[in-house]
Amino acid sequence: MTLDVMPDVTRDTPRKAAPLLEADGLVRIYETRKGLFGQPVPVRAVNGVSLKVAQGETLGIVGESGSGKSTLGRMLLGVDPSQEGVVRFAGAPLPAAGTPAWRALRAHMQMVHQDPLAALDKRLTIADQIREPLDIHARGNRAERRARVAELMQAVGLRPDQAGRYPHELSGGQRQRVVIARALACGPSLLVCDEPVSALDVSIQAQVVNLLADMQAANGLAMVFISHDLKVVRNLADRVAVMYLGEIVEEGPVEAVFAAPQHPYTQALVSSVPAPGKRLDGRMILKGEPPNPAARPAGCAFHPRCPHAVASCRAEAPALVPTAAGRRAACHLVGGADRLAA
Amino acid sequence: MSRSHLVQIRDLSVAFDGVPVLHGIDLDVAPGEAVGLVGESGCGKSVTWLAALGLLPAKARVSGQVRLGAVDLVGAQRATLEGVRGAKVAMIFQDPSSALNPVIRAGRQITEALGIHRGLKGKAARREAVRLMELVGIPDPARRFDLYPHEFSGGQCQRLMIAMALAGEPDLLVADEPTTALDATIQAQILDLLATLREEMGMAVVFISHDLGAVAQVCERICVMYAGRIVESGPVGRVFDAPRHPYTRGLFDALPSLTGPRTRLSPIPGTVPDPRALPQGCAFAPRCARAVAVCSLQRPRLEPDADGRALACFDPVPADARTPAEAQHPAARASAAVRAVDEAAPPFMPGPHGAGPAGSGPDRGRWQEAAQ
Amino acid sequence: MFRFVLIRFGRAFVTIIAVMTFAFVVLRLSGDPAAVIMGPDAPIEAVNAFRAAWGLDQPVWVQYVAYIQAIFTGDFGVSMRGQSPALDLVVERIPATLELTLPALLLQLAIGIPAGIYAALHRDSAIDRGVILGAVMGFTIPSFVMGLVLVLVFAVTLGWLPSGGDATWQHAILPVIAMSVGGIGILARFSRSAMIEVMGQPYIRTASAKGVTWGSVVRGHALPNAAVPIVTIVGFMVGSLLAGAVVVETIFSWPGIGRLLIVSVTNRDLAVVQCILLLVAAVMVVSNLVVDLLYGWLDPRLRGHAAH
Repeated sequence: MTLDVMPDVTRDTPRKAAPLLEADGLVRIYETRKGLFGQPVPVRAVNGVSLKVAQGETLGIVGESGSGKSTLGRMLLGVDPSQEGVVRFAGAPLPAAGTPAWRALRAHMQMVHQDPLAALDKRLTIADQIREPLDIHARGNRAERRARVAELMQAVGLRPDQAGRYPHELSGGQRQRVVIARALACGPSLLVCDEPVSALDVSIQAQVVNLLADMQAANGLAMVFISHDLKVVRNLADRVAVMYLGEIVEEGPVEAVFAAPQHPYTQALVSSVPAPGKRLDGRMILKGEPPNPAARPAGCAFHPRCPHAVASCRAEAPALVPTAAGRRAACHLVGGADRLAA
Repeated sequence: MSRSHLVQIRDLSVAFDGVPVLHGIDLDVAPGEAVGLVGESGCGKSVTWLAALGLLPAKARVSGQVRLGAVDLVGAQRATLEGVRGAKVAMIFQDPSSALNPVIRAGRQITEALGIHRGLKGKAARREAVRLMELVGIPDPARRFDLYPHEFSGGQCQRLMIAMALAGEPDLLVADEPTTALDATIQAQILDLLATLREEMGMAVVFISHDLGAVAQVCERICVMYAGRIVESGPVGRVFDAPRHPYTRGLFDALPSLTGPRTRLSPIPGTVPDPRALPQGCAFAPRCARAVAVCSLQRPRLEPDADGRALACFDPVPADARTPAEAQHPAARASAAVRAVDEAAPPFMPGPHGAGPAGSGPDRGRWQEAAQ
Repeated sequence: MFRFVLIRFGRAFVTIIAVMTFAFVVLRLSGDPAAVIMGPDAPIEAVNAFRAAWGLDQPVWVQYVAYIQAIFTGDFGVSMRGQSPALDLVVERIPATLELTLPALLLQLAIGIPAGIYAALHRDSAIDRGVILGAVMGFTIPSFVMGLVLVLVFAVTLGWLPSGGDATWQHAILPVIAMSVGGIGILARFSRSAMIEVMGQPYIRTASAKGVTWGSVVRGHALPNAAVPIVTIVGFMVGSLLAGAVVVETIFSWPGIGRLLIVSVTNRDLAVVQCILLLVAAVMVVSNLVVDLLYGWLDPRLRGHAAH
């Protein structure tokens, strides 16, 4: 009745040197068609993203719609193939999606989506849903699996009498608990959460955020937490990557980045977060529309909306370079970027 | 409070298929005033105004009074309602992309309202619609007049909705979660636009949202709703500085913050009650850390307070408590309540308040105890 | 847009070729026309002479190529029975079939759509329930049963209307009814659900909220949106009407294409059968093409001219 039933590669062989998850130069290009008769247009949803997640670390990814953050999340698990770049998990490149090797690896890397109702099978009871990954990956015998399900349900705060319930009989928060329990069933070492609390009410959202934090602390999980909600990300993440039009524009320790954002886009994002009791005055309100990945501007992708843009921003895309201890930003105007890089 | 009111809602109740979802709302809106309605999903904040304008499906049973001048809108003739909608009271909705008719040109949807309310036709209507589109910040409106809604972004669709609402020069604009479906930076633009328009046109605004932050930016007065009732109302500053209803207070405590120390969140335990099985007494009592015996027996009435707010609670949070962020955090009590409801403290899981088995996870010291 | 139309025409062409090939193969496989037409007692020399005359002694692929080539030169062959060109035989029958299918189609549109919309707008009323019940009965009763019941009631028992033939306009009444009832039911059901779906959309609430009167909301905002799915189903129904014509024309001895098809199949009159199948395929393909073009006209989202 303990976690030891489940083998866990990463905990048995802790790798201090290599990060648990490493992405290098990921590119994802979609073809979309405008209407029935339009020409297909290539859309670079993710445009050269590199990142690292250490064991037990939480990386927050923030950005608006069209920033490619959800696509990136799927690419990190190999669900969405990348045209360029490579994802390494525990030091080895991800096997191709759909292969037996990849499926076996999925026991160690799980995903939690925004809409728990869509993620759950309407016809299966809660206990069956949570047991499903154990069956798939052939973990333990029947009794062990049953014990593991009970243990997981208790861990995520579901009552034993809810085991026989169906998803539609639960509230949104409870459903998300089921999804989290199922994701944790095989004792993964990485959890990718895509807006896991966005559909929940404030009070319930706090319950699920706390649950994720507890689960992570208890099991030493690494987590990629994708969200548009800066406040939730700040609460959960160790580091944060800010995405704009498929690229990381700023990255660093979450408290430092949100306390003193360097990239103008991060500044605008932070400024746009409504704080209870704070009036609109003095906030930085960005002009223009959210970016369209099908019409990427030349130079820095953010320059059409950037209040500080200069000529070089229009001409040349800035690289993501170190700016301060543990921080990186992609902006021509962030002081001393080049000097620090050298 | 004897100002002449624009809208006076008295004892407004709504039931769907015999299940009451709104239990007697009293709410006044003065001319030019900005009132916020906050609460979680299902609390009845949107239903209140859909009922007031007769926009609920036919199966909804509405009772009470919604007085607009001399007219009572509850049970009014269809023609009366149609004369009020858009002309005196306009309403805009969440998810602007689906709130605009996909097969009608954007400009045409605005001129339709201009024709109904101001009798403008043809060129004159077009000119005025272009002016309104410009007013709400749509770039190059003359050229984009003939585009269809899907050719606009979500933020621009909400601007179009606002332009449409302004077409009838209403006295009151009801904005139902107008920014919820939008990205953060666009949300800020729309809030800014609403605040500016209100200032310039002097119309009253009712802002319905689950987002306390957004409400604070637009409104002067706020009503917090829970399970179909208003539980606390008052000036935004006072309610935000010192929320007194335990539910309001709980909403603030549950919010993560973008500044200050990173503390463990304090959720409100449990879930919103099922409207078919509301608890006897105060609907919030089962989730309330301050609940006393009487709370589960009697329902507290919404009573005016000395400092200009109204409160429905037998044992409110003391008024002298400081702002939620700085205030004493009832950490022990709140977490005890969470545990009681969640039953979620397995031995292998080190919560922030208990020591976990050593080495079971990297302790990065990220949870700081709430300020004591 | 031009590209789109071109693609659609290309597809239509391929569809028709496929239908022709299918008809050709099935007919060759299903029996020897020479034996059927000449009868069982015909001397073997006569049968062979018939085969040679019609090219039936050639390998199948030679016959196929000849057949396709002929069609592209506008030659649909000659009826093996009457010796007259197959196309003439078929064209001659078209007006009779149109006399049934056109009124039937109009009846379907004129009754099915309004009934469905009315039911949707008065949901759960007695009339709504009546429409649903009628619609279900309409499309569950097969047209041959419906035709026979109509004959039994109105021709045999009551004697009000003729039971067959095409002498007067009264002769057309029963077949038109038999042919349209199923379609009316389908259209009513479909229009009802399309309209209910549209009336629940947020933009309908928006229109009401801006003060548009109820009638204008229905006409100006709901109907244009409900039209898209309704048009789809009408496109399908044009095809099913032709199928219905085969059954109904046979029951009512109506001298249209449907009956010609039955007779020609029985007689293994290959050229005529192929000609009719080609015509049916063409009608289906054209109606689908029209539906696709209507989509673009009805729903700007499918037009896809990027305006900015």
